[in-house]
Amino acid sequence: MSSEKDLTGPELQRMSRKELVELGNSLDGVRVAAEEPGRGAADARSERRRRRLVTLLLVASLMFAGAFIWVYNLWPSAYVPPGAPGHTTYLFYTPLLGITFFGMVAALAAAMVLYVKSFYPNEVAVQELEIGPSPETERFTAAATFAEAGEQTGFGRRTMVRRLGITAFGILGLVGGMVGLGGLVRNPWEGRDDSPLWTTGWKPIGGETVYLRIATGDPTDIRRVRPEDIDQDGVVTVVPFRESERGDIEKLRDAESSPDNPVQLLRLPPDTQVRNLPGREDLHHGDFYAFSKICTHLGCPATLYDSQQQILLCPCHQSEFAITEGGRPIFGPAARPLPQLPITVDADGYFVARGDFPDPVGPSFWEIRRGSH
Amino acid sequence: MTRRVRHALLVLAALVALGGAYTLLVPAPQTASAQSGQAQIDQGRALYEQACISCHGSNLQGAPDRGPSLVGVGDAAVYFQVSTGRMPLARSEDRGYRRVPAPEFDPDTDQGRANLAALGAYIQSVGGGPQVPAETGPQLIGSDVGHGGDLFRLNCAYCHNFTGRGGILGAGRYPPRLEAATPEQMYTAMLSGPMAMPVFSDKQLTPEEKKDIIAYVLAVRGQNNAPGGYDLGELGPSTEGVIAFLVGLGALVLVAAWIGARS
Amino acid sequence: MGLVARSLARGTANALDRRLSIAAAARRQASHVFPKHHSFFWGEFALYSFVVLVLSGVYLSFFFVPDTHEVVYLGSYLPARGEYMSRAYESALDISFDVRGGLFVRQLHHWAAVVFVASMVLHMCRNFFTGAFRRPRELTWVGGVALLLLGIFEGYLGYSQIDDLLSGLGVRIISGLLLSIPLIGTWLHWMVFGGPYAGEIWISRFYIAHVLLIPGLLIAIIALHVGLVWYQKHTHFPGPGAREKNVVGERAVPGFGTNTIANGLWVLAVLGLLAGAFQINPVFLWGPYDPSAASTYIQPDWYAGFLIGGLRLWPRAEIHLGSYTVPAPFWPGVFLPLVMFALLAAYPFLERWANRDWRHHQLLQRPRDNPTRTAVGAMGLTFYGVLFASGATDVLSATFDVPFELLVWAGRIGVIVLPPLAFMVTKRICVGLQRADRDVLERGAHTGVLQERPDGVYIEVRRPPGGADREGRPIPLDYGGARVDQRPATSPEPVGEEQQR
Repeated sequence: MSSEKDLTGPELQRMSRKELVELGNSLDGVRVAAEEPGRGAADARSERRRRRLVTLLLVASLMFAGAFIWVYNLWPSAYVPPGAPGHTTYLFYTPLLGITFFGMVAALAAAMVLYVKSFYPNEVAVQELEIGPSPETERFTAAATFAEAGEQTGFGRRTMVRRLGITAFGILGLVGGMVGLGGLVRNPWEGRDDSPLWTTGWKPIGGETVYLRIATGDPTDIRRVRPEDIDQDGVVTVVPFRESERGDIEKLRDAESSPDNPVQLLRLPPDTQVRNLPGREDLHHGDFYAFSKICTHLGCPATLYDSQQQILLCPCHQSEFAITEGGRPIFGPAARPLPQLPITVDADGYFVARGDFPDPVGPSFWEIRRGSH
Repeated sequence: MTRRVRHALLVLAALVALGGAYTLLVPAPQTASAQSGQAQIDQGRALYEQACISCHGSNLQGAPDRGPSLVGVGDAAVYFQVSTGRMPLARSEDRGYRRVPAPEFDPDTDQGRANLAALGAYIQSVGGGPQVPAETGPQLIGSDVGHGGDLFRLNCAYCHNFTGRGGILGAGRYPPRLEAATPEQMYTAMLSGPMAMPVFSDKQLTPEEKKDIIAYVLAVRGQNNAPGGYDLGELGPSTEGVIAFLVGLGALVLVAAWIGARS
Repeated sequence: MGLVARSLARGTANALDRRLSIAAAARRQASHVFPKHHSFFWGEFALYSFVVLVLSGVYLSFFFVPDTHEVVYLGSYLPARGEYMSRAYESALDISFDVRGGLFVRQLHHWAAVVFVASMVLHMCRNFFTGAFRRPRELTWVGGVALLLLGIFEGYLGYSQIDDLLSGLGVRIISGLLLSIPLIGTWLHWMVFGGPYAGEIWISRFYIAHVLLIPGLLIAIIALHVGLVWYQKHTHFPGPGAREKNVVGERAVPGFGTNTIANGLWVLAVLGLLAGAFQINPVFLWGPYDPSAASTYIQPDWYAGFLIGGLRLWPRAEIHLGSYTVPAPFWPGVFLPLVMFALLAAYPFLERWANRDWRHHQLLQRPRDNPTRTAVGAMGLTFYGVLFASGATDVLSATFDVPFELLVWAGRIGVIVLPPLAFMVTKRICVGLQRADRDVLERGAHTGVLQERPDGVYIEVRRPPGGADREGRPIPLDYGGARVDQRPATSPEPVGEEQQR
């Protein structure tokens, strides 16, 4: 090969293009073993037919492009609600974009593939591989170069410098990591007993009464609940409300959107036998039971209430909680009962919370059984 | 409150259209049947003794293993159960899913509406309970669709799905899809809490809120608001994944087979 | 080509070569031989989907606002008017309804994401079952596994940050999984979310990871992955002339180059069709996230389906260590996926060690020719498949009217029983297919034609591919690892009476 590389300019200029390509191939270890003309080269008719097909596809692509441009710019794209005039026309905007886009790109792609199959030579090329380690000369010289360089640094001899240097580099990396991640570290236990892992928005603040308010998604709509508001077999989502929050839209909205606040207040049929869990005997008020809506598995709302069997089902991983057994999980992956909110009725007949949940709300974590309240 | 006013203005045009379209499609159910008072109750009793008595007993007290007591269920429950074809049960093992209503109780006919009203009046006269609203059809479609959406997702979607495609409950029971439910049926269902469904009293969801919920369901169910092409049944990412593999990857594998075919 | 274009091309080439001496390198790339097989285009599906993802993603980033602050929606989508929602969700609605063609591009981006991961899985299966990962290509394989993991993660982050009700439940689940990690769970959660779930910073963190950190990693690893494939040359299937020390195929230009561009256009075309014709992730129907709202049929995008399946199947078992707790979801939600991806990445090394095979491999294997590997793969796919199907127990339950409790139990039993069964069955099938191949090579293809021997016994006429010797006995051929032609018509002259049925 090296001799071929030494060809002179005049020699190369005398060579034909074919010869030059062959020379190049041989330099790259490639040999074209077979080369057949494409399918379109069989005869003039086949050539014409295939050329026409490719042309047709390219024209189709251009037409679809025109259609796409037209739809994109001129088709009504503004939202029209169902039932209003122009809704159906609007519904076709995105589908038409998709279809014309597909036509435009697919026709071009098909033209390319067809062209390759028809007119490119069909070749079988073989390239020899240089697999495995480099030639020995390269390996020995490379190894020697690096060994020599290492020797020249003298690190091998100066043990103390070497060790300190490595340590300094390591520490530099650690410092970088520390600065990069250190700012992210927050102490989940900063508030100790008030850590958000232990408390929710139901926790009494300064002795102020915490009412049960119906969640409606509208913070201006303040509706406290009385027992007669809920029919038997009824269930309602409630969030904490304090009189001091009245008029404060931000706080009212916060009470609704805080992830651990949602509670479902259920009214069971009057003669329902409930086996309350130990320690939960007096959390309910008559037939009214208030359970956290947040699944103890991974925090989805466990909220499909089956009023026939008094079961709550979580839609994410299908844990089932039996209300007649005090919120105990009876099927699926959740391991802890739904936390129950202690409720009672105040002098004016409104439901109020008698305190925060006795159990932590939401998914389990490493320290959950060290709960300190 | 200003928010409310703003909505009302914003949504007015579309609601007129929505309500209008709805009026065209659905005939208005009974506008206070001709009969009234005792005559209607007597007719209702006659219908009851024909269709219901074998399971629910002669005094609505129910029969063991056959049917529950109907004392206090109200005519809302009657309207819902009978107009959706859940009752009378064709066979005792039917699980109370929506079927074509019995011809004499078809809410799309005058006769059916009169019979429904009569049967309801009879049940109501015996035990009381939640009542069918006086308004009908378009009057039951609220004005604040967005708020209806909030309430629907808070109170209904966990069984009936984001867009009313139904869902699952324990032990092989399925909350129904809402594609075919009329405003009257949705309204009476919320009031009466049929089967496993909880009851939503008027204190809990006010009549206005119930109507907003109905407006939202009408706005999103079926193919409504599917501007992004075929909605794949709106079952969420499960069907999207199937399409990604079958249509997307399937088409690409076929194309690659064409490109890579040896001639 | 006009004269101007030609002289311009020559001028540019000369200018570059004078400065960089790239003539040899350029020629080497042009005459690079790439083997021809349709399955070798599968990896490109992922590559071109990624290109579509980057382009459509840049477009979306012009409009998307990664902000958790609440606003009241007043845009043009009527059923959401007046609702409280995060700025992020509002901007997703704006893209869908108030930007011309925005919904199309949003759907293009999402379809490209699900097809991106799907084609990586398909490509990985092809590489696994043909043994393409063997020495010297272990690094390519490990890079591919990293791409798959990052791709799943990237997809999850992208769909989460819209802050709709469906993906919001997914964010809550990830928060719960972070909390479930023993020892450091709560601290890790506080690092990621900046406090308890969900806080105000998470969308901007998810966003920067989604548009910068992970795409950067993806681009770097894709470059390494494709670079390695190019540098080490592509593997090829056994066939005429194909050996362990060569590549048989076509040169990069013009054939391979044109085809790969056409393939890329096909990917773009199919994704565009999906984006227009099939609605994906209609966030406007899901509504804004609300911690107390939920829906039925809660599923993640398909590539996270196995995770949700594992979470649904795992029994309610919390482990208590003194006063500390290992929450149940840790095992299927954190530990299992880590183990699965670790095993996947380690597979080339495990197989190399088990087979004591340190040779270089350029020739691919047919799945039947390595029954153990194929059976291991089938076992893994079955395990994955049961988890995946269990991730849709609710949809399956409603569609086929089977109680979901039954499906959960079927999944719990299936995930243990079915994989070993798949292993055994696959292995038997592979061995059977091997025998059938060798039978054809030794005795000939079946023709279905019966002949009666003089002694009255009926035998089938066979056509040995290697022909017959003078006495009419078939000349057996060696099996070379390539497909054996089972069709009788293409074989040489028939030979009867050599095998009794």
